[in-house]
Amino acid sequence: MSTTVNGIIDRKGFGTGTWAIDSEDGQTYELHKPPSELQKKGLKVKVEGKIRDDIMTLAMIGPVLEVQKFEILK
Amino acid sequence: MRKLVLAGLFLVGLIWAIASFSGLAAQGTYDRIVLDFREDVDAAQIEQQVQTIAQKYNVRPRLNSEFSQPDHLYTVKGDKALLNALKHDLKQYTEYVEPDYIYSIPESQDSRVNVSIGKEASPIQASQAPNDPMYSQQWNLHSINVESSWQDTKGKGATVAVIDTGISEVPDLKETSFAKGYDFVNDREDARDDNGHGTHVAGTIAQSTNNGFGVAGIAYEATLIPLKVLSASGGGTVADIAEAIRFAADHGANVINMSLGGGGESSAMAEAIDYAHKKGVLVIAAAGNSGQNSASYPARYPHVLGVAALDSSGQKADYSNFGAGVDVSAPGGSTSEENAAGGILQNTIDPSTGESTFAAFQGTSMAAPHVAGVAALVSASGVKDPDEVAAALTQSARKVQDDELNHYGAGKLDAAAAVKLALKGKITFNDFFQWLRDSGYLNPRFWIDGGVVALVPKLAMVVGSYLLAFFLRNYFPFAWSWSMASGLIAGSSGLFFLKGIYIFDLPQAPLRVMGSSIPELGSSIQGSGALNPLFASVLIPLALVVLLLGHAQWKWFAIGSTIGVTACLAVSAAIDPQLMWLGDGALARGFLIVNALLCYGLVWLAIKPGDKIA
Repeated sequence: MSTTVNGIIDRKGFGTGTWAIDSEDGQTYELHKPPSELQKKGLKVKVEGKIRDDIMTLAMIGPVLEVQKFEILK
Repeated sequence: MRKLVLAGLFLVGLIWAIASFSGLAAQGTYDRIVLDFREDVDAAQIEQQVQTIAQKYNVRPRLNSEFSQPDHLYTVKGDKALLNALKHDLKQYTEYVEPDYIYSIPESQDSRVNVSIGKEASPIQASQAPNDPMYSQQWNLHSINVESSWQDTKGKGATVAVIDTGISEVPDLKETSFAKGYDFVNDREDARDDNGHGTHVAGTIAQSTNNGFGVAGIAYEATLIPLKVLSASGGGTVADIAEAIRFAADHGANVINMSLGGGGESSAMAEAIDYAHKKGVLVIAAAGNSGQNSASYPARYPHVLGVAALDSSGQKADYSNFGAGVDVSAPGGSTSEENAAGGILQNTIDPSTGESTFAAFQGTSMAAPHVAGVAALVSASGVKDPDEVAAALTQSARKVQDDELNHYGAGKLDAAAAVKLALKGKITFNDFFQWLRDSGYLNPRFWIDGGVVALVPKLAMVVGSYLLAFFLRNYFPFAWSWSMASGLIAGSSGLFFLKGIYIFDLPQAPLRVMGSSIPELGSSIQGSGALNPLFASVLIPLALVVLLLGHAQWKWFAIGSTIGVTACLAVSAAIDPQLMWLGDGALARGFLIVNALLCYGLVWLAIKPGDKIA
């Protein structure tokens, strides 16, 4: 099942740092192996991906989103 | 004559009290001296003075902690002779030079001193510090009171499995003992770290300590099993983690630390945890960092001790999850880009170079290994059964009063108290609900916080209200009825046990409201321990009496609740007079007493002599 998230990319300070997206509705998603284009703090994006329920992480900041498609918004 | 005897007794009591009071100065011992330089002396001058005394007396003055820089607060090892010499030498540069007294609580006293509401017991201050030069920056180890526990054990004989990103043998892990581990990500025996997280977590548990280098760890003579399940990017599959849990259980682990979480419920993982539990392993997991109500998996599984994070001031860290699934709390720190000192400092690797570095991290990831380290100390003290180790950790934790939202679980981790309890060997299981849940009588979606309700005041309120009703019955005979009894409960204690029940992922407020008595209703939604004076007063009983007095049955509910509220307010005034806006002093107490008396008067007015129900 695919999920679409609109939000802003952020780097969360857990461990050596984790890429995340803070969605417009207030939920934080952890980005699972994000493409390098998305690894930029403050970027406004629309990301389509899959919630990986079978993955646990050291950041533990919210659902893990594996990016399938993304669009950088202005 | 009677007055004279009483006055005499009072005087004897007073003299005895004064005679048996020993001031701090009388019993204070010290082997360190505190130097507080004046604020108006510039840094260069202070530096010069520090250098001068270092050379002259052959000592090493150092900042008391990372937070001491603005105050220019230094400590130096030394005795009375040095104290006097320094007082003389530094007179014009310092505000004071004084002994750094070691405070301790006598053996006979319970180390878990319960201080009145709103405050908490402070840790027993420590004695001998290890020689690791950066130890003074480890506020977290001071706050769990680890030094005192080292007098009894340093974890020798205990084995802790670290299920994480692997462990690299950085210089400050050189003297730490390791058992064979496994890398489940790359399927090989070499479980070295390529992220930096696992090595940091391992450092908190068992960093090489008293080796004159770097920082300290908690159970530094324990053996570590490195198990890599998270990749360099920090994620890993539930399948690998479940396998690692079984590997740990089969390879002699006493404790498993999982500073990881997320995902959904998995029966593979739940079964692996049960397997480890049956093999005598205590499983510890981080509560999660999304700042939400309810711990994430795996902390929320049965037989897993969930750990919330505290910042350096001892408050719940902003990011830490809370509520259902949080069993205990420990330092997790809080860092910002400008200030790393609030984090947990350990030796780890820089993932970009693979080189050794000392880094301050934050997270419930950092809190869990504190508990795992202390669990290893408890295990090394001879307590092996995982439920008993867990009980030793939670029962010895420093209780936090008014923890209505369960930020802290059973309380804040205390290493010295846990080891003392383990050595005494008197660990009791009084958590009936925990047993019920683990035995499957309750749905696993529920979680019980045994520590939330202070039972004694609640019982005093119920018993008090019944005694009051019984007393009034002598004057105004009435028949007991259901409406009377429910009124007594509603007014005095409410169905208070409901407050301790949580349902995962749902707000707890409805249960708190259902579990509140009438006076508590005004503050139950926000989960405050202080009573709302509008509700904790004669107002609601008055309204009930006015509205229901004409009804033959419901009238007794109104009278019962008024009696109940009388008891609740009187007990609160005596034990815990805490009111919103009015504080917890004489004003609040006076308010509660006046309203208890008004309620009592209302009961007298409402029960007409000879009034009976059928």
